Amino acid sequence: MPTASAIPVPLEVYRFQPGVDAKPSYRRYELELSPHTPVLSALLKVRAEVDPTLSLRYSCRSAICGSCAMRINSKSRLACETPVGPEIERHGRIVVEPMANQPVIRDLVVDQASFWKEYERIEPHLKPDPLHPMPEGRPNPMTPAEVERFHDTPRCIACAACYSACPAVAADPAFPGPMALAKLYRFVVDPRDGAHQDRLVRIQTEGLWLCLRCHLCTEACPKDVRPSERIRDLKEMAIAAQGATEHGSRHAVGFKTNIRAAGTLNESRLVRQTFGVVGMLPQLPHGLAIWRKKPEVAKRPRPIEGADELEKIYEALDPEEPR
Amino acid sequence: MKLAYYPGCVAQESGRELDMATRWVARAVGIELVEFPRFSCCGSGFVDEANEVLNVAINARNLAIAEAAGLDLLTICSTCQGMLTLAQLRLKDPAVRAKVDGALGPLGIRYQGTAKVTHLLRVLVEQVGLEAIRAKVRRPLAGIKVGAFYGCHLLRPSDEMRWESPEEPHAFEDLLKVLGAEPVLYRGRVMCCGFPIQFVKPETAGRIAGHQILDAKAHGAEAMATPCPLCHISLDAYQGPAAKLVGQPLDMPVFHLPQLVALAFGAGPEEIGLSRHLVPTEPIVARLPPPSR
Repeated sequence: MPTASAIPVPLEVYRFQPGVDAKPSYRRYELELSPHTPVLSALLKVRAEVDPTLSLRYSCRSAICGSCAMRINSKSRLACETPVGPEIERHGRIVVEPMANQPVIRDLVVDQASFWKEYERIEPHLKPDPLHPMPEGRPNPMTPAEVERFHDTPRCIACAACYSACPAVAADPAFPGPMALAKLYRFVVDPRDGAHQDRLVRIQTEGLWLCLRCHLCTEACPKDVRPSERIRDLKEMAIAAQGATEHGSRHAVGFKTNIRAAGTLNESRLVRQTFGVVGMLPQLPHGLAIWRKKPEVAKRPRPIEGADELEKIYEALDPEEPR
Repeated sequence: MKLAYYPGCVAQESGRELDMATRWVARAVGIELVEFPRFSCCGSGFVDEANEVLNVAINARNLAIAEAAGLDLLTICSTCQGMLTLAQLRLKDPAVRAKVDGALGPLGIRYQGTAKVTHLLRVLVEQVGLEAIRAKVRRPLAGIKVGAFYGCHLLRPSDEMRWESPEEPHAFEDLLKVLGAEPVLYRGRVMCCGFPIQFVKPETAGRIAGHQILDAKAHGAEAMATPCPLCHISLDAYQGPAAKLVGQPLDMPVFHLPQLVALAFGAGPEEIGLSRHLVPTEPIVARLPPPSR
């Protein structure tokens, strides 16, 4: 059987033992490996043959357990399914670091407490509707169409690559993270769950609107769960369930009504719709600085031609929206 | 080259300098911008959050307007590019298509899916071509270290945007090199500017923007440039609050992509609205030589 010839694989691995090392450092290991070798195997080779003190988490080696997520050349992903060849081709070396947004315990092992706390906070279990209890001893049937609505999310293996990649998690502890929200979506569309409304109302005030829709989670996810898209779904469902109660939902709904009016954006009106007149006050000093350079922010924009067509589209597809 | 010009809302209002610079560059490279006063806002991702199908329909109408004229669309905003592309993809779902057709049909608007949607950056790099651009440079941006800032929706989700690598894009840097500038590579160039939550939680948005600017600075950038006017709002218009939030002076001039092209082609600062920026661009412009003839 033909074998791929070995290539030089320079690995630069993050090493840090808090309380022992003054600061993190990167250790370089020079290996010769087949380009198909997973980064995880490379790290285990280092541990077996060069440095037995290298700490990392792993288990199945088959992209099923979700243990070996780490940052490889800056991208959060599973080490077991990242071959060394393409990384060397693109970067000439492989920099391996622990996941971001979680404190390091040692080397590549991070403390996942905050990740799991957010998961628990969404109460990731069915809360059966007391009016429609689960049939005793029998499965509760769902139609294929009902299952189809959440067939992506159970693929999640809780590897936390999305949590590591998320800039909202990095910037604001109030954001639950992509995985927790994708899992929440899974229960909100599960017809057997009786707490849809409560879940949606709660999440409006518990960080849903801090998602930046940057799609970095969707890029990082090794299972194509597409958390950013499920978060979008949650936002629309939360507005439908409760109306626009938070800055985020008020901004989304305000934007929608704004476009209906003229087909184009009225920037100052939208800020007023989002924050309210009183809420705008802290924004005013900087708003004035912007206005001095860009006076259009305070002007009412000219409506587009054919704004009446938009009105008709809204009537057809957004009948709930009051004029 | 003749394209349906989709300027988006911001470039027609608070970001007019982007529209000015786009027109300047289009004239210089021979792109005919066909205007359609019927184009509406793309929804900027916010309408999508409130009502996905409505958002698709609004953009199907925009796409149909260009299609009826037999033209492809030119965008100058990463978010407009993302929203119009997303609409095209969602319209492949027969259920979505039926709803949208049901709303547009009675208005005599027919979406066909024939128009391409391309951002100015891609048009410049791939259609105009780097060599043609190099030939027009009359004032190389020599010695200016520029950090490109792509804007999420030009790159991600990468399986939907289908262009450059979402981790290591290079079109913008390739263009900067041709203009004579020195591109600076930094992780933040493919990250989020914070804009989507500027009106949700300004302090978090500002920290995110400040962080990206600090990252560019730490890698040696003296200026930043973006193909997205929403990123420009975060990085330039709200740089003052961002500096306070990260507790460090930032003083980072931020250019719109076509402004840098126009400067290298010899445009004067007033022709491309540089005085409209919140963070002065003079320290950079003052370093440029007068344009050659």
